[in-house]
Amino acid sequence: MKNPYYPYDAEIIKVEELTPINRLFTFQIKDKAFKSKFKFRHGQFFILSVPGFGEAPFGFCSSPTIKDSFQASIDKRGGLTNKLFELKKGMAVGIRGPYGNGFDDVKIKTRNLVLVAGGCGLSPLRTVIQDASMNPGNFKKIQIFYGCRNPELLSFQKDYKAWSKNIEVNLTVDAPDNKWKDNVGVVTNLLTQEKIKSDSVAILVGPPIMYKFVVKKLLELGLKEEDIYVSLERRMHCGIGVCQHCALINGGYVCTDGPLFSYAEIKNVPEGI
Amino acid sequence: MNDKQLQDFVSYLIEKNYKVYSHKNVDNNVFIDEVKTGKNFKLCPQKPLHSFKSFFLAPCKKMMQFKGKEILLLRDPDVKSVLLGLHFYDMKALTLHAQVFKKDPYFQKKLRNMIIIGQSPIPEEDRSYEKFEKEILEHLKFDIFLEAKSTNDQKEFRIFTGSEDGQRLLDGFGYKDYENVEYEGPVPKKGLDQLHQALIEKVRKSRGSAIWKELGKKCIACGKCTIVCPTCFCFKFKDEIEKDKITRSREWDSCFYEDFSEIAGGHKFLDSTEDRIYNYYDHKFVRIPNEYRMVGCVSCGRCTEVCPAGISLPENIKRIMEEIK
Repeated sequence: MKNPYYPYDAEIIKVEELTPINRLFTFQIKDKAFKSKFKFRHGQFFILSVPGFGEAPFGFCSSPTIKDSFQASIDKRGGLTNKLFELKKGMAVGIRGPYGNGFDDVKIKTRNLVLVAGGCGLSPLRTVIQDASMNPGNFKKIQIFYGCRNPELLSFQKDYKAWSKNIEVNLTVDAPDNKWKDNVGVVTNLLTQEKIKSDSVAILVGPPIMYKFVVKKLLELGLKEEDIYVSLERRMHCGIGVCQHCALINGGYVCTDGPLFSYAEIKNVPEGI
Repeated sequence: MNDKQLQDFVSYLIEKNYKVYSHKNVDNNVFIDEVKTGKNFKLCPQKPLHSFKSFFLAPCKKMMQFKGKEILLLRDPDVKSVLLGLHFYDMKALTLHAQVFKKDPYFQKKLRNMIIIGQSPIPEEDRSYEKFEKEILEHLKFDIFLEAKSTNDQKEFRIFTGSEDGQRLLDGFGYKDYENVEYEGPVPKKGLDQLHQALIEKVRKSRGSAIWKELGKKCIACGKCTIVCPTCFCFKFKDEIEKDKITRSREWDSCFYEDFSEIAGGHKFLDSTEDRIYNYYDHKFVRIPNEYRMVGCVSCGRCTEVCPAGISLPENIKRIMEEIK
């Protein structure tokens, strides 16, 4: 019987520092049979294993159209990620997955997209952003609304210019420095009647407090409950809907039914958002 | 089958190289132990404090070892065992686990190598044999079932088989007077009865009610109930670094423990004892029924027996049924 917890051999082929606390890791799967089957969709995640330091789930952040390797941008936030930040190019890790429901591929390619990110939340949305930058003809209009505490923490800064060719990039920070010339304040302030078309599909990735305000604003702007998606973060161990760590009260698992939930699905789940 | 024949059957199993485990009562401590001989063996009618759960899900199961770049999947040895004398509520728990862990190679291997022999008097409310067989036995995982007339009368048993393994063993022993029960899957066709359906709805609705606020103050979140519960199966993975290798294990976890829902950065989704005890009931009475179409509580009473705070599950269920409209 197949072992669902087996971490397949992979190698770190590149590490780039995106912010003082966030690095972009490029992984390449070494196990040939696993690699040939390994296909992920926008919005899915994988479980990274560093023997001795455990496992943790991370969202993919590179376009699924890139087959030879994949990326994740990871914050240094605890035991496993502290260790990961010590690892260098050429070192081995374990990978299992992909897991989760991911975005509805037809929906995101046939509708205008409003991507709202807070902090390290831009990372899982970058699968769509990168895909749309490489294959602009496959997508409709895409708008990014990205907020961070300060300019230093903005992820993927050197890519904004290239993205801007096909995508509208809106940035805001809470605490600007001397050089900052863009918006100041919470990301909700950027979402206005002039900017947002009410028939758009919105995907939100960020801290729970952001969801509360952004969902309210988007509903006011006329977006439908079933067109507003939030990505939930929970503790995970198994990734296959058994261990109960990511169970939602009254039903559903973030690992198998999520991590993406429409507001229509999640609004009545206690502690959902 | 009479009690003497049962002793001979136990001896036969041991002769056939099965490791036989059953529970026994020593000074009112009921625990599971290996049965070394069939001589003088008597079925213990009381339930053991700890169910047979750990025979399938070890409290700490070593899953794999990392040595340099190599990963060694740790497999259990092929030891054939007999679990003798499970009460029907523990069989129910096993039936649930067999569904939950259907894709788990560690659990499934244990199940393959285990002969399950259940025992029970017919529960008071199910006095008719036909009803008992149709509504209970057909939906339980077992190989052989010993049906005693009552807990006080363990001299004569009616024998059912629930698998070919069970039939093969009885035939080999030379006992023919058994009836076979065909396993009809874990859930009766008609699904959950009305009482349980009402309970699911009421537990769902009860979140935030005074019941949980009070229990949140009373419960000390020690997790004892989750350890003795035959259906509780939450787990976590843990890595241990030794000299020349790293071992990844699957350990029992408890939803009452502080870090159960904690994510990087420190946020806990189950942040109070009230949240945690509600989550425990939500899992048993809302989520498991929705996911597996059976109730996650098998009414064994162990959680109530071990609770140091004096919390009674049946009393709480009674309150939920009465107070939640």
